[in-house]
Amino acid sequence: MSAHETEHPVWRRPLLEDEGLEEQAERLRRRHLLLDPRFPWEMNDDVLRPMYRTRPTFWVIFVALGGLVLMGAVTWGAQIYWGLGITGLNRPINWGLYLVNTVYFIGIGHAGTFISAALRVLKVEWRRPISRAAETLTLFGLSTAALAIFIHLGRVWKAYWLLPYPNQRQLWPNWRSPLMWDFMAILTYMTGSVLFIYLGLLPDLAMARDHTRGWRHRLYAILSLGWRGTEKEWAYHKTSLDIFSYIIIPVMFSVHTIVSWDFAMSIQPGWNSTIFGPYFILGALFSGVAAVIIVMAIIRKAMRLQYFLRDEHFNGMAKFLLILSFAWAYFYFNDYIVPWYGGEPVMKVLFDLFHRGWAAPLWFLMLFSNLFLPGIALWSRRVRSSIPVLVVICIFVQIGMYLERYLIIPVMSGRNELPFDWGTYIPRLETLITLASFALVAFLYLLFSRVFPLIPVWEILEGQILQGLKRIGRALIPSRAEPH
Amino acid sequence: MANHSVLGLFHEATSTADTIDRLRELGVPDEAITVMSGVPYTPEMLGRRPVYERLLPIALIGALGGFLAALFLTIVTPHLYPIEVGGQPLVPGPPTIIIVFEFTMLGALLATFGGLLAETAFPVVGRQVYDQRITEGHIGVLAVVDETLVARAESVLKETGAHHFKRVEADQPPRRRPFLRLAFVGLFALIPTVIGLLFAYSVLAIPLPNQMVHQPSIGYEQGPRLAAPAHAVPVQGPALIDGQPASEPVPATANSLQRGRVLFGINCVLCHGQDGSGEGRLGGYFSPSPTNLTSAEVQALSDQQIFLVIAQGWGIMPSLAENLSPVERWDVVNHVRSLRE
Repeated sequence: MSAHETEHPVWRRPLLEDEGLEEQAERLRRRHLLLDPRFPWEMNDDVLRPMYRTRPTFWVIFVALGGLVLMGAVTWGAQIYWGLGITGLNRPINWGLYLVNTVYFIGIGHAGTFISAALRVLKVEWRRPISRAAETLTLFGLSTAALAIFIHLGRVWKAYWLLPYPNQRQLWPNWRSPLMWDFMAILTYMTGSVLFIYLGLLPDLAMARDHTRGWRHRLYAILSLGWRGTEKEWAYHKTSLDIFSYIIIPVMFSVHTIVSWDFAMSIQPGWNSTIFGPYFILGALFSGVAAVIIVMAIIRKAMRLQYFLRDEHFNGMAKFLLILSFAWAYFYFNDYIVPWYGGEPVMKVLFDLFHRGWAAPLWFLMLFSNLFLPGIALWSRRVRSSIPVLVVICIFVQIGMYLERYLIIPVMSGRNELPFDWGTYIPRLETLITLASFALVAFLYLLFSRVFPLIPVWEILEGQILQGLKRIGRALIPSRAEPH
Repeated sequence: MANHSVLGLFHEATSTADTIDRLRELGVPDEAITVMSGVPYTPEMLGRRPVYERLLPIALIGALGGFLAALFLTIVTPHLYPIEVGGQPLVPGPPTIIIVFEFTMLGALLATFGGLLAETAFPVVGRQVYDQRITEGHIGVLAVVDETLVARAESVLKETGAHHFKRVEADQPPRRRPFLRLAFVGLFALIPTVIGLLFAYSVLAIPLPNQMVHQPSIGYEQGPRLAAPAHAVPVQGPALIDGQPASEPVPATANSLQRGRVLFGINCVLCHGQDGSGEGRLGGYFSPSPTNLTSAEVQALSDQQIFLVIAQGWGIMPSLAENLSPVERWDVVNHVRSLRE
C-alpha cells in the first residue's frame, strides 16, 4: 500500500495555497465526510475489515439472537401443531400481535427505500454513507413483516392458495379483497427492494472481490457478475438506479396505503377512515427513520465506522425525524377530531377507553413518545448532535409507533357496534414470537453485516470527487459539481 | 489477425483523456478502447462519446407487459372462473386499478434489471482483462489492437504516464467455468419451468391423499348408521335432564332484576328489542325473526330451559356462555320472566 502513497493521486490534492484558509478548510473537513477524502484503498479496508473481525462480543450477541430466533421457530411450530387456538386470538379480536408486527415492520421497511430513493432523486448529498444501511433494514423489516402474515395464517401450509394459477379447485384469488392487493403490493415492493439493494451493491461486490481471498473471493466473484466498471456498465448502472428510484417511491407509498386499506375497507369503528392511507405512510416513515438512526448508531460503534457516519448524518436524519413527528401528529389529529366531532356512540366508547379506560396509559405514552418527546427535544442542536440521546428518543418513537398500531388493531377491534360482541385481547404465546421477530431482524442484519459491505464505497468516492471548496471573499464554501 | 489487449492504469481523468486522444490519433477505433474505473466517471470527463443506452424503452416494454398481465388476471380469469359475490360485478373497477398499478410497476422493475443484465452481458463467465487496482481508485484504459499496433499503443500508454502496465497475449484460452454457467442457466430456466408446471396442474395431478373424498365415509341412506361420537352436540337444541338444574337459580330479587335489565340491554336488546317483542334494531335482518320473548310459548318454558337457551343458543341465536356467567344468566332469566307483564 505504501508504494501508492508516495505517488500523487487525485485523492489528496492540496486544496489551497493560501495558508490562512487552511484552518477553515480543516474545520469543514472534520464536519463533512465528502470534503474529507481518504485513499480509496484505505476506505476499502475500513469497510472490509469489520466484516472479518469477530470479537467475543459478536459471538455472544450471535448466540443470544440466534437463540431467540430458534425459540420463535419452536413456538411457531407448536402453534402450527395445536392451532391458533393456543394464542390469545378469539372472537371478536381476530387480529392481534401478529398483524401489529406486520404493520410495524412494514413501517420500518419504509424508511430505507425512502432515504435511498427519494434522497437520491432529490440529490441530497448526505445520504451517501447511510443508503445501504437503510436499504438493508428495509430488506429485513419487510421479510419479517411478510413472515408475520404467514405466522398469522391458521393453516399456513395452504398459503400457496393465494397464488393465481390453474388448479383442481377451480378457484381464483378474489381480486376484490384488500388482502389480495396487499399480497401484490408487498410482492412488488419486496422484489423492487431486493433488486435495488443488489444494484447498489454491484460495484462494492466487485471491490470486495478484488481485495479478498478464499471463499469470500469466490462468493463475491459470482455475485459481482463480472463487474469491471466500464463506461457502459456505469452508464447502465446509473440509469437503472434512477429508474428504480423513481418507480420504487410510488410503490412504497402504495404498499403502506394498501396495508391501511386492510383496515379502512371494513366497517369497524375507528378503522373506517378515509385518511388512513397517508396517515399510515407518515407513521411508517416516522418509525422507519427512527429505526435507521438506531441502526446507524449501532453499526457506527460496533463496526467502527466513525469516519463514515458523522454528526452531519445524524443531524440530517434527526431533522427529518422532527418534521415527520409533526406530520404524524397532523394526520393523527385529523383522524381523531372528525369522529370525535361526529360523536357516534361507539366512537365515544372508544375515546373513553383511550382517555380514561384501561388503554389510557398506552394512549398517553403513545402521544408522549411520538409527539411531545421528539417534537420538543429535537429542536435543540445539542440533542441532535448527541448520539446516545438521539437513540433514546428513537427507541421511544419505536415504542410509540408500536403502541399506535396496537391501539388500532386489537384494541379498536374489541369495540364494535354490537356491545355483546366486545372483548379484550390478552396476548399469549404471540409475545414470544414478537420477541423473536425483533431478534430475527437484528440477527439477519448481523449476518448481512458480516458478508456484505454496509457502506457504499463507490457512492462516497463519487461524492468526494464531485465535492470541493469554493472561495468567496474570505470564506470557504463547500460546493458541488453537477455532472449532467 | 490476432488481437492483443493492452491495459494501462492512470491516476486521474485528465491523463486518461489525453491517452485516449493519443490512441485515437494512432488509429485505434473508439470501440476498441474501454475505460474502467471504480468510480463513475462520465464519458464527457474522459472526452468520449456518451454511451448509447436503451434501458428506458426496455423498462417501458416491461411496464406494458406487467399492465397486460394484470388485465389478463383481473379481467379474463374472473370470466373463466367466476366468483359470484352477491351480485357484484365480476370485474370491479377500482380494485382492478390497484392490481394494474402494482403489476405495471413490477414489470418495469424486472425489465430494468433484466435489461441491465442483458445489455451489459452480465453475468460474465470466464476471464476478462482487468486489474484489481481499478477498485483502488485507478482508471484503467484497455485498448484491443492488432499486432501491427501493439508496440506503438504500448509506448503511448507509457508516454502518457500509465504507472502500471499489462499486456495480454492474443489467443490466450479463456478459463471455462461450465458449472457456473450451468447454474445460471438452470436458475433462469427454473422459473418458466415452474410456471409451466403450474399450468399443467390438472394434467399432472398427483393423487395425494389429502382430499376429504378419500376418507372412510358412509353414503346417503346407506346403512348401518354410525353412532354419534361421545362429544357430539344434540342438533335438536338444548336437552334438559329432569331434576338436574344447570346451576342454582337466583331468586328474583329487586337487585337481580336490576342486574338482569342492564345485562339484557347489552346482550339481548339488539335482536329481541327493549320490550322483548323480537323487534330489535337488528331483528329485521334475520329470517326467521328473533323470538318474541313475551309470547305464551316462551313464557311456558321452565326457567331451566330459558337458562339453557342463553347458555347454548337456539337456532340462529348464538351461545352467550362467553358473555354471561351462570349467575348473570339467571339474572337475565328473571328479567325475561318480568317481561310477561
